[in-house]
Amino acid sequence: MTGEILLKTVLGGALITLFAIFFGLIFKGIDRKIVARMQMRVGPPIRQPFLDVIKLMNKETVVPENAIKWIYHASAIVCLASSAIILLYIPIAGIEPLLHGHGDIILIIYIFIISALAMVVGGFSSSSPFATVGAQREMITMASYEFPLAVVIIAIAWKLSEEIGGDVFSVYHIAQNPLWNSVGLLGFIGLLILLFAIVVVTPGELAKIPFDVAEAETEIAQGLLVEYSGRNLAMFYIADGVRTFAMASLITALFFPYNISPLLKNYISLGDFAIVTDFLFFLLKVFLIILFSVTLVRAGMARLRITQVVTTYWITITLIALFGLVLLMWDNQLDIPLPWVG
Amino acid sequence: MLPMLSQLLKQMMKKPFTNLFPAKYAPKNVRGYLKNVQEGKTKIIPPVGIPDEETFRGKIVYDREKCIGCKMCIRVCPAKAIEFKEEEKKIRIYIGRCIFCSQCNDVCPVDALHMSNEFLLADANKASENLIVE
Amino acid sequence: MKYEIPIGPLHPALKEPIMIKCTIEGERIVDVDVIASQNHRGVEWIGMNRNNPVQSIYLAERICGICNFCHPSCLVIAVEEITGIEVPERAQYIRVIQGELERIHSHLLWAGVAAHELGFDSLLHYVWMVREKVMDILELVNGNRVTKSIIMYGGVRRDIKDEHIPKLRKMVEYYREGFNKIAKLFLEDKTIKMRTRNIGILTKEDAMKLATAGPTTRASGVKKDVRQDMPYYAYPDFEVRAVTPDILTGETVGDTYDRIVVRLLEVKQSLEIIEKALDEMPSGDILSEPKIIKIINQVKKSEGEAIGRHEAPRGEDIHYVKLKEGFEYLYAWKVRAPTYINILSWRPMLLDMQIADIPIVAASIDPCLSCTNRVTIVKNGKEKIITGDELHKLSIQKTRRLLR
Repeated sequence: MTGEILLKTVLGGALITLFAIFFGLIFKGIDRKIVARMQMRVGPPIRQPFLDVIKLMNKETVVPENAIKWIYHASAIVCLASSAIILLYIPIAGIEPLLHGHGDIILIIYIFIISALAMVVGGFSSSSPFATVGAQREMITMASYEFPLAVVIIAIAWKLSEEIGGDVFSVYHIAQNPLWNSVGLLGFIGLLILLFAIVVVTPGELAKIPFDVAEAETEIAQGLLVEYSGRNLAMFYIADGVRTFAMASLITALFFPYNISPLLKNYISLGDFAIVTDFLFFLLKVFLIILFSVTLVRAGMARLRITQVVTTYWITITLIALFGLVLLMWDNQLDIPLPWVG
Repeated sequence: MLPMLSQLLKQMMKKPFTNLFPAKYAPKNVRGYLKNVQEGKTKIIPPVGIPDEETFRGKIVYDREKCIGCKMCIRVCPAKAIEFKEEEKKIRIYIGRCIFCSQCNDVCPVDALHMSNEFLLADANKASENLIVE
Repeated sequence: MKYEIPIGPLHPALKEPIMIKCTIEGERIVDVDVIASQNHRGVEWIGMNRNNPVQSIYLAERICGICNFCHPSCLVIAVEEITGIEVPERAQYIRVIQGELERIHSHLLWAGVAAHELGFDSLLHYVWMVREKVMDILELVNGNRVTKSIIMYGGVRRDIKDEHIPKLRKMVEYYREGFNKIAKLFLEDKTIKMRTRNIGILTKEDAMKLATAGPTTRASGVKKDVRQDMPYYAYPDFEVRAVTPDILTGETVGDTYDRIVVRLLEVKQSLEIIEKALDEMPSGDILSEPKIIKIINQVKKSEGEAIGRHEAPRGEDIHYVKLKEGFEYLYAWKVRAPTYINILSWRPMLLDMQIADIPIVAASIDPCLSCTNRVTIVKNGKEKIITGDELHKLSIQKTRRLLR
């Protein structure tokens, strides 16, 4: 019995890691292609991230003279590993995730922090002034986006405990009971505001423009990653793609956990293909989230200064998220029904 | 507040502005690609059209018969790209050194030098036949 | 804790052979040192020892790729003043048009670079897409996209033909329509405003003290422009006025935002000048002396010294030229490009700013350093500078090794 569980975990874990890397890189390619088309360029082919990874794998791995070598190498592995295991906890296309349990949403946030921290440690250990500045900036950014993110998650969990109850800090539970079904008008607006807040947090979480201060190419020459090359850089590169995919999947699970097969069943019989359509629909949702929270934002804005990042997150976005939370609370008391639901 | 966003969404639907010369994506093997083009297997995407054939400054064309060997072009050439062949009293132009200023065209008393509109002059060997005009 | 970070000579923000050594406290800049290189490309030496004056025009053109009209223009103004070569009126107008076309393309290029320094690559691609139009016109009129090769002692080498004029007018119309859009994308964008307003302030006092030139000084409210103060070519007919940012925004702060405003307004001003020049261009010769050998001989016979001044896109460009009778080359030639004096303003601009502001502030003066740097090798904390001679020796050794 234990052997079976172990086998399932190991095999499933390996499969999901491969799946995450594959789709992380695919979405990275799509993102680059769309940005290129927005800028009226041709852009690289969608398989370009794979070619990049293959090329980096073949390159020499240079270690700076004054670096702390084992930390320098280990942080790349930790970053990739921690990004890959996030997906073990997130329900994909409504399927029960491999690992889940009480309070796993808090765990997911911590794993996100671990992969960012691995980059910080790697940056500090590489002993370059640019990497040091980048590492400091990454820590500050981390501290600033966690607050609004926590507000969003707590708001959702609290509302869920009021309406349905159960294990409210479990992603799977949240995904099974979409909040949109059980709120009134104020709650609906509140959820929209929370969605906006988490969409703004996403580029910070993933270190993309306008919040890519830690890697700012023109300021500190890729910052954290300035000294990395070869296989280590490839691992950070993959980790970036996987994190993007994981973050978008998390938003999907929290806000859009719906499947398309129940709707389609009314018109055609899907049979065993239901799971395939659900999966494709899930990829579509992830794509839309990446398009609006990463691609469009990173193409359409200038990079902010680190002080402006902190004020944006701590004051503007936190206030917006808190306002969403307050609306959710009022929803319980006032209970105005949604106008379009009879 | 963020005027670029709407601009980007508009541009996303348009065709790319880039001129895709010589192919959409860089070919893996340039020489092999060019060979295919010569054999007619693939088609090269043309470069931007030459705007004015009269004013364009491309590879120099030398009219050997007209040349009287006055050496005036050698005197004004800023790049020292022109060599005088003593025995024949004619010149030899190294395109690899030429900076396409067309000053020699202006100075020539018998109109023996002209600028053509040929500009794809890349070559692996700077002494190849393509790059020497005589 | 204070530490130093080096910006340049190899840095994505500043791909020029100059180094800004910033002492940092946290993210704040507490001290700035600009280390300019002392090595020389030998451009002036070639002009004084190897090239005759006609060849030197093309050499001057290659001092800088982007402002390849202003450098030969300065040289030609100086030599024409010494030798007394007359310039036909039509040629003067064509020179004005060329200068303004160059200003448009240089300022648009700068706008793209500035956007890139802010991490706003979409704007970079947009502006450079718009810039293609003026590059096409340059190619149409001059026969080449970048190097113009048009100026000559006593006039210009190529005429603007009648069939070119409608295309030039179309270009003016294109930019006039596009101007509002670019101005909106740059000046109304919240993120750009956040990054440039009150950043890198150069006060009017500092601008005067450091004798900065061009848009850098005009953005600080100093009304200084060679085209206004000492009009040359056909500029007296146009009554050019120095552009200051308060024309558009109503106030002069002297920050990076103002420098963007000034450059955009100058594009508009250039369009007006080109349009007026096309309307009023007289007919006639374009070259007073078509025989170039005669010009070379006339320069050889003259004696005297003069200064050529030209308002380049980056500021006032100055060439000092001295000629001596019987001397085939320029007897003395000194080039002073506008960036040379503008880089000094980096210090007052950068003090008390953040690391994030270095790229955009450094770019805001539009630095263009056409010179080479020596190689510095840092090993085990010791610095060793390799001079040009040593580098030459090393490369000979390497070649020998390869030959063996």
